[in-house]
Amino acid sequence: MKARRCEGVSRRDSLMLGLGGLLAGGLTGALRATASEGVIAPKPHQADACILIWMDGGPSHYETFDPKPEAPAEIRGQFGPIATQTPGIQFSQCLPRLASISNDLAVVRSIRHNQGNHGAGNHYMMTGAPPRIPVGCGAFVSFHPSLGSVVSKEVGAPEGIPAYFSMPSMSRSGGPNFLGARHAPFVVPDDPNRSSFRVRDVTIPNGLTEGRFESRQAIRAQVDRLMRITDAAAGDPVVAGDEFFAQSMQLISSPQAQAAFDIHQEPGDVRNAYGRNPFGQRALLARRLVSAGVPFVTLYHGGWDDHRNLFNAYEKKMPPFESTIAALIEDLKSQGMLERTLVIALGEFGRTPKINKDVGRDHWSNAMSVMFAGGGTPGGQVVGATDRQGYAAVERVLAPENFVSTVYRKLGIDPNKMVHTPEGRPVHLVSNASPIDEIMG
Amino acid sequence: MPSMSRFVAICVSLLLGCWLGPVTEAAKVSFELDVLPVLTAHGCNAGACHGKQRGQNGFQLSLLAFDPDFDFHSLVRESRGRRLFPASPSDSLLLRKATGQVPHGGGQQIEIGSSDYETLLNWIAQAAPRRIEGEPLLQAVVLDTTDFSLKPSEKNSLRVTAQYDDGSTRDVTRLATYLSNEASVVSVDPAGEMTAGPLPGETAVMARYMNHICVANVSIPQPNTLPTTRYSELPRSNFIDDHVYAKLQKLSLLPSDPIDDATFLRRIYTDVIGRLPSPEEAREFFNATEADKRANLVERLLDRPEYADHWAGYWADLLRPNPYRVGIKAVLNYDNWIREQFRDNVSYDVMVRKLITAKGSTWHNGAATLYRDRRSPDEVATMVSQLFLGVRLECAKCHHHPFERWSQQDFYQFAAHFAKVGRKGTGLSPPISGGEEIVFTSTSGTVSHPLTGEKMSPKPLFGEHVGEADDPRYDLANWITSEENDYFAQVQVNRVWGILMGRGIVEPVDDLRSTNPPTNPKLLDALAAEFRDSGYDLKELIRTITLSRTYSHSSLPNETNASDRVNYSRHYRHRLRAEVLMDAVADVTEVATNMQAMPPESRASQVWTHRVDSMFLDTFGRPNENQDPPCERTPDATVTQSLHLMNSPEIDSRIRSDQGRAARLAASEMTAAQIIEETYLAIFSRIPTTPESDYGIELLESAENRRTAIEDLMWAMMNSPEFTIQN
Repeated sequence: MKARRCEGVSRRDSLMLGLGGLLAGGLTGALRATASEGVIAPKPHQADACILIWMDGGPSHYETFDPKPEAPAEIRGQFGPIATQTPGIQFSQCLPRLASISNDLAVVRSIRHNQGNHGAGNHYMMTGAPPRIPVGCGAFVSFHPSLGSVVSKEVGAPEGIPAYFSMPSMSRSGGPNFLGARHAPFVVPDDPNRSSFRVRDVTIPNGLTEGRFESRQAIRAQVDRLMRITDAAAGDPVVAGDEFFAQSMQLISSPQAQAAFDIHQEPGDVRNAYGRNPFGQRALLARRLVSAGVPFVTLYHGGWDDHRNLFNAYEKKMPPFESTIAALIEDLKSQGMLERTLVIALGEFGRTPKINKDVGRDHWSNAMSVMFAGGGTPGGQVVGATDRQGYAAVERVLAPENFVSTVYRKLGIDPNKMVHTPEGRPVHLVSNASPIDEIMG
Repeated sequence: MPSMSRFVAICVSLLLGCWLGPVTEAAKVSFELDVLPVLTAHGCNAGACHGKQRGQNGFQLSLLAFDPDFDFHSLVRESRGRRLFPASPSDSLLLRKATGQVPHGGGQQIEIGSSDYETLLNWIAQAAPRRIEGEPLLQAVVLDTTDFSLKPSEKNSLRVTAQYDDGSTRDVTRLATYLSNEASVVSVDPAGEMTAGPLPGETAVMARYMNHICVANVSIPQPNTLPTTRYSELPRSNFIDDHVYAKLQKLSLLPSDPIDDATFLRRIYTDVIGRLPSPEEAREFFNATEADKRANLVERLLDRPEYADHWAGYWADLLRPNPYRVGIKAVLNYDNWIREQFRDNVSYDVMVRKLITAKGSTWHNGAATLYRDRRSPDEVATMVSQLFLGVRLECAKCHHHPFERWSQQDFYQFAAHFAKVGRKGTGLSPPISGGEEIVFTSTSGTVSHPLTGEKMSPKPLFGEHVGEADDPRYDLANWITSEENDYFAQVQVNRVWGILMGRGIVEPVDDLRSTNPPTNPKLLDALAAEFRDSGYDLKELIRTITLSRTYSHSSLPNETNASDRVNYSRHYRHRLRAEVLMDAVADVTEVATNMQAMPPESRASQVWTHRVDSMFLDTFGRPNENQDPPCERTPDATVTQSLHLMNSPEIDSRIRSDQGRAARLAASEMTAAQIIEETYLAIFSRIPTTPESDYGIELLESAENRRTAIEDLMWAMMNSPEFTIQN
């Protein structure tokens, strides 16, 4: 039952230290303390943050980054290709805005895997680990920590701001698994496009003075006597709760964090550029969070499982969607942030070559396209290729492991790193630590 | 692979060699024994390739070769036989694709000239027979040893034997595929060699050969064994303790200490009636001196009205439909029906029978809403099998279940029980769906096998029906609830055990299958037998579990059991359920929660639809009915929960309400000491220790405003884990 942490300080001790600091100096004192600790030494990595646009359900590679104009009609579909800013590269006509900034984009057309169900595909792409047991389509599974959770643990954020945000909900396998609930995403479910938008519960209730809030904290430190089980293998939820409490305290006492949440500070033309819709404003909020030091933001965008009426659906949803992504990349660039911010867009797999009887495409993990921008990614390039009809990745065939390792390397995390489950079992972050060299640059 | 084809070759050439002429120069190749295993070994019929429901590129195989007839048809007959070319076998599309000579989505899988290539080539050259003469049928696959006890990092090998209908057996260890349920505990390689991980633990390892499965249970006990007296001298209350302690002994784990009265009081109140004890109830229990006061308390709680609301809530999670889909009135009636079953302590088999055979108007018989919500026989079948048998049949809807014995035939025969469910009235018309619908037994209605088109007659998953009712749902209800059906009692006792003990003996609680074995099979069997013998009396089951010593283990570990999270050597702490916590906030503050569509003073445990908005319940993980399945509840703690308790203006205003507990205590004649005791009893369900009391008295007496001090103390206690976590 003894604490097993290498540092020789139990979690309980460190929590008490944290609270003690708070009591001694009050809120402002605590702020100063965290601010001085928050200085992060520069590291030899390419990106400080990643914004992951998760297209849940699996977008079609044909109608995005891998059009096949030479294929027969029942495969190429209703849309044609368009030229991009980059000579020799074509995107689907669904992506005119992204095509116009293709010199900032790199597209990988040759990632493939063997998980044709949503639950399993989500897990593989989001964690770099194949699901351990067969997983059904409807499942939300977690066998391994997700990208965002690993980044939360390895990179962290200043000012008590959660290091990993997910909006408006968590993606299916976007959880922390054995890294612990502390590295679960902070979910902001509300719609930032509303005038009343405010990130809930992150400020002291109205009518309560700061002094009184501090004295409540002091009392809590006295009355909270429940014994903690310090052995991590016991999985004590009380220990996890302590982490959340400490995190909550930091968050509400940080003006920087509070400002990051306040999307209303953005000028109207910037808000319009991102698109006055929930996804557009979430992308803008993501940029604000990244400016405040948040290293990982997932923008969850559902509804890409187009088994039927794919073309009608894309005609409707693509224009606002892709123009938000383009606006995000342009804005990051104009703010001088794109160089250190990686933007990725993908789903769990591609879609079947043959258009089915319902004018849709089904699940297809033999080929998918993944878009990268920023974070030191050489733009204006396409990596790998599928065959002439888009059935399978045939050139520079890559696996989800390579994708995940690329993200880790860019953010300065060694994908080969050994982590330990609470039971002390060793696991590599990613089983194949080779990144996609072309994306690394 | 080679070993078997050679074996078959020898048998066959011995039998037939003399008169088959030149063709027999190559070994006689069997479709089932040689060809299909090659396809399986190379993943051709895997779920991501040709094994998926619509096949791949027009070529479909049954998943993992569960259906040889289907596969034979696909390979030999379909597409006018273009896949095989016996006149020039090596030009067969099957081989050219598999070897990557023509574009193949799956790439090159088999090398030209390899033994697997030769097997396929020879089979085609021999005119691709479905069977060869004298070919035995595979009947079972067994492991030579099924229980393993390994030391950390020790290796051991599985040996798999196939048994055939001619009495012959064959070692298929090299041909079988293996899967560990928890690879970090015990890993297994493609040759069937297991390697124990570095730490104590247990898991199951599955071996599959063709459409047969067998399972090995592997444990890695603690390295130091303890003297048997450490176990024989443990006090026991009932059979539960015998089974739990036997398992602990096997793993050299010692149970944690028994808990004190205060911990028991809070645990039993939140578990049995889902609320905190009032200060008066707590004092009464602490002051009681009779030896069986815990048993008496359980008895009193089981008679409380809150019992029904609390336990109905667990079933509402499982059954409750989306009102946008079925209509708000049907949802209310359904909810009322569920609560009534628990209020009347209707025995579990009767409740299930009523649900399965529900008839009549959704405006009068709430149970009929099940059939308004689930409309096709296959939808009802998957739900009923999972809820009442713990058998997950979804897989078998589209293909043979990859980890179980269930075939598509089994699924549709089971679904056929619901073929005659008739409906009249107004069907679904989301988002209002307000109409009345009447469920009745129709004279017509059939279920067909989706591949063969054959009309299915109702048949249970195993065993036989007893009768032959007009409505096959009655036969099904009889079969499900019959004493011969072990699954029925097992899944329900496992569910209740999981609720009370923090983890099911099988997890997930409704996924009973040989490849997901219970952590303590004897305990599960004994609980199921007890439940059956009691006439499926839920209260009796709760009584038995909560009065065991095992239920009263402390959550704090001893030197042996900190890492035990599956064998009940200690109590597993968990956060209180959303509704329990929300009602606790109301009880503690003495300000009821204001909820729409509910009478004043209603409790969260009485909320009958998730359409009743509640930021609190959402934050603390009540199920989202828009999600499918809607019954997923999140038990985890999150930072948003901590922020909500801390900063929610709504909770703060109740703590500071003029009608609240703090205002009442502050205005009373009570001394500071009395107020502190009252507050501790109300929030932590215990008497404060002397230092706690001294601190509280000092806090109140030094405060300018007594009420403010009480409010702040209450806030502090409600934001402590002792309030939110069941210890």
